[in-house]
Amino acid sequence: MSEAGHIFEIADLNVAKPGAALPELDRFSLTLDAGQIVVVLGEAGSGKEALMRVLGGFSEKGDAISGTIRFASGAEKPAAKRLRPPIRIAYLPNPLARPFAQHVSVLAQLSRVLARKTGSPQASAREELRLALQRLAGAPSLEALNRKPSLVDPVVQAWGLLACVSAQTPDLVLADHSLADLGPTAVSTLLATLAEEQKRLGFALLYATGGLQPAARLGGRVVVIRDGRIVEEGDAARLASGHAHAYTRILFKAQPQLSLEQAKLRGAARGQPLLQVYGLDLLADPHNPSRVRDGLTFELRRGASLALVGEEGSGRRELTRMVLGLDRLTTGRVVFDAVDLNVLSQTMTSRLRRRIAFITGADDALDPRMTLWDTVDEPLRAHLNLSNELIAGYREAALKRVGLASHEGKRAVATLSAFDKRRLQVARAIVGAPLLAVVDEPLRGLDAFAQTIMREVLTDFRTHQGPAFLVITADFTVAQALADEAFVLKDKKVIERGSIVEILRAPKEAYTRSLIAAVTLPGLSQAAGSV
Amino acid sequence: MRTSSQAAPMLRTILHVVGWSGLGLIALAVVLSDFLAHAPAGAANALHMLEAPSSAYPFGTDLLGRDMLSESLHGLSVTLRHALLAALIAIALGGLSGAVAARLPHGAGFMLRGAMGVFAAIPVLLLTILAIGLTARLYAPLAAGLAAAPFAFVRAFDRVDRQSRSTHAQYARATGISVAMLLRRDLTYEFRDTLAPVAARALAAVTIILSTVSFLGFGTTPPARDLGLMIGAAKAYYLQAWWTAAFPALVLLVLILCARLAAGLDEGERP
Amino acid sequence: MMQFAVRQAGRFALGLFGAAVVTSMISAVSMPHAHGLAPFLEAAGARLLAFAQLDFGKSAISGLKVTDELALRLPATLALVLAGSGAALIVGAPLGLLFGAGPIRRAAAPLMQILAALPVFCAGLALAYGAVHLLHWPVSVNLPVAASAPVFSGDLRTLQMAAMPVLTVGLAGAAAVQLALRRAASQSAAEDYRSGLKRMGLSAFEIEWVYAVPQVIAGLLASLGEIMRALLAAAVVAEWVFHRPGAADLFVKSVALADWNMAALILFVFAGLAFLADFGGRIGAYALVNEGKP
Repeated sequence: MSEAGHIFEIADLNVAKPGAALPELDRFSLTLDAGQIVVVLGEAGSGKEALMRVLGGFSEKGDAISGTIRFASGAEKPAAKRLRPPIRIAYLPNPLARPFAQHVSVLAQLSRVLARKTGSPQASAREELRLALQRLAGAPSLEALNRKPSLVDPVVQAWGLLACVSAQTPDLVLADHSLADLGPTAVSTLLATLAEEQKRLGFALLYATGGLQPAARLGGRVVVIRDGRIVEEGDAARLASGHAHAYTRILFKAQPQLSLEQAKLRGAARGQPLLQVYGLDLLADPHNPSRVRDGLTFELRRGASLALVGEEGSGRRELTRMVLGLDRLTTGRVVFDAVDLNVLSQTMTSRLRRRIAFITGADDALDPRMTLWDTVDEPLRAHLNLSNELIAGYREAALKRVGLASHEGKRAVATLSAFDKRRLQVARAIVGAPLLAVVDEPLRGLDAFAQTIMREVLTDFRTHQGPAFLVITADFTVAQALADEAFVLKDKKVIERGSIVEILRAPKEAYTRSLIAAVTLPGLSQAAGSV
Repeated sequence: MRTSSQAAPMLRTILHVVGWSGLGLIALAVVLSDFLAHAPAGAANALHMLEAPSSAYPFGTDLLGRDMLSESLHGLSVTLRHALLAALIAIALGGLSGAVAARLPHGAGFMLRGAMGVFAAIPVLLLTILAIGLTARLYAPLAAGLAAAPFAFVRAFDRVDRQSRSTHAQYARATGISVAMLLRRDLTYEFRDTLAPVAARALAAVTIILSTVSFLGFGTTPPARDLGLMIGAAKAYYLQAWWTAAFPALVLLVLILCARLAAGLDEGERP
Repeated sequence: MMQFAVRQAGRFALGLFGAAVVTSMISAVSMPHAHGLAPFLEAAGARLLAFAQLDFGKSAISGLKVTDELALRLPATLALVLAGSGAALIVGAPLGLLFGAGPIRRAAAPLMQILAALPVFCAGLALAYGAVHLLHWPVSVNLPVAASAPVFSGDLRTLQMAAMPVLTVGLAGAAAVQLALRRAASQSAAEDYRSGLKRMGLSAFEIEWVYAVPQVIAGLLASLGEIMRALLAAAVVAEWVFHRPGAADLFVKSVALADWNMAALILFVFAGLAFLADFGGRIGAYALVNEGKP
């Protein structure tokens, strides 16, 4: 392909699914030059997926496609025809989308892909992969990929995918939400590496995303799309500055900013102690509990909030499970609502757990067989003796609070979107009137708009019903939005604790600083006093 | 996940409707068998032995001059009655018990599962023959239901056990939802919503078992002849008089086919 | 792998033990003083101990040791099941794979339902009728076959007479094989890796051959127990319909004549075969497709 000039030109692209009311892409035109970066930013269903399918040549049966594409200096061809483009295109998927067969090692699959794309034997491809990994600073070794996908951390898989793409020396890389939900520090490191590789190899990069991190960290042009059409394009700083289309402003405003201003403490000091933990040590040897190191001691009062900030493997979930009595305590003592959990029978513990709600970013947290109404009703039917009318009343109020009142009540949970399921969890928690809400990565997998609404729903829940919040997250913006105090965890130890604002103002540990930096988007800070 | 085309759900619905309509018509034919049949059950006629199908005898006659159409209708009535009883026993003692056992505490459920697994490893046909041999031919429907129950138990147990290990069940337990409440979920969504297809599938399975044991000589005793016994009796001369076995077999096939269609297309494709 | 194999071996051993307990209880029915619960349980216990010493008792009909009688009859049944399983794979595998996924599955499903709706004895009689009237082959539906006529034989007439029972068993096995394959194929078709690897650059053929086919075969292997049960049940019917003097036919006669020692032993052997097939199938499936989950 030519040194300068377009990598591709799309003109008047229409993509529609049979029977759909609106097209996925509507008279969409886009040009990408060699060596350029374009970040396609939009909500779920905005048309990014359709764009990836057409550019990558993996349209689905039944797609009605019109418009034209020209690759590099080739002729303009109808977009509907699946033709072999005259440039090397590499696809970078998200490891959380399970792109690998689960019964074969990641390494074997990446080697096969690389061999196919470069036309080389698999042994050579494996060696190329090793060299590519060695070139990437911070990447794991090849051997780390030589296991089945279920045994390889998604971040390690992401490194492998990036190395595979790099080794293909492509002309164009299609990055399809490649690094979403991998954890803030991993995302910022991987994005930085991707940007470096892009500079080094000079490939054009089209990155589809629902969040602002890639727009902020990769640079390049940002194309905002909505309902299949381009709303606006420009660089991230200009779009974030306020001189932009109304929709673009809303999208950028959805990105939360860390604030150094002390928020009004929401009842941190009021209320009786709800949760008291004494001498809990996650690293204690279960076979030799006498060797207790410095155990963790803290308390959470009614109406207060605490965030456990750390990435996967930091021990935040183990800590939560022990504190709630879901796992056996190896050391220390936990008192919940003035009751020592260790001395309770199964039945009594079960009764106590009625006052706990879980809101989690896992899509399988709700029973997919149940209907929307049954999901909300169940805590009331299980724990209280109420009439059907009263139950219906509470249910309607809860669904209204989370914005699901207009949904068909007999719809199965399996048919709901991730965003709806997330809000349904909050509705279920509302009717349960819990003393403690455990909120575990509540914004995972949601696009920017949905995250904003979810944040509001959770804040509203906390404000109106006043449960204590125990927030598990790797994202300081989520921690700050939902909690006042935080513990920073690393390698199953609490390395820093205090009010979130104090931690943000003066983080003591390097790991804490890296977590803060991961969610601080350069060029997009707008609020006064923000990090 | 691939999305289904619009034709697939329509085809599924059509076949469901065909299946249930067929079962409805069969049930109607059984209720009206005494009116529809030209002759009472077992009515022999020495003057018309082994006559080929004709306008007078659409299904022909057998070795004793019995009208095959009438005999098939009476046989269908006996077969269906016995199969319904057997299916009910299989579902109640097998499926329902399996679902409940999966929620029992402290490994009791797994011990039951293990015991039932031993019986489920034996082909249902052999268990049925054994059960009839140990009791009496009169109890053939009961034996078939009991023999099918372990298989139904194991399937229901495994299904509910998978649910109990799921993430949503763990979250439910973590928020104080009791085992009884979770069992209620299972019975509502696994049973109530799937009872019709499960019943239809069970009906098809026990019909095959009952007709086979009757064919082998372990089923109903004459004069109450079911379809399997009719085919078994015709075995000696059907090579010369095909209609004596073909029409009862066709009626049996239609019953089983309607039950299978009513059970749904995805039989066995769900784990 | 070792851990899994040990767990499955334990399961197999427990299953066999359970089958032995059931067998001893059946055998105890024939004991003269086993009336009432306590004497019956005592008799069953005694029979179980005898089984452990490989003493399965004598036939109430012939007076011979049941093991000796079974040794005469079992090879014929095993040959029939083996030949039938071959036919099952030849017929069932293409049906299951071809109709396993995509629009063909939906269109073929009613056809599959019709085939699966046919009871084995009806299929056997229909095959015999076709053999006589269309192929003009000899069949043994209403004639006894010499006890020494094996399934695997060079003699044309014997082969022709063996063909129909083999096909009868084979069709029943084919129904089980195609069901297992359809189930595995439809599960494999729903996997996310298909689109992921395709987008990354692998061809559809490569994805099918390298990744999907092992999954489908593993699905078939995992259902070996189910297939074996279908084959054994069909063997009972086929031996009865075609007058073949095998162990399955002997089981039917033993129950009819209340020879419980004989019936119990045959039941134990058949259960053992099903457990063995299940065990082997699970190990094979695990070896082929192991997702490595801890």
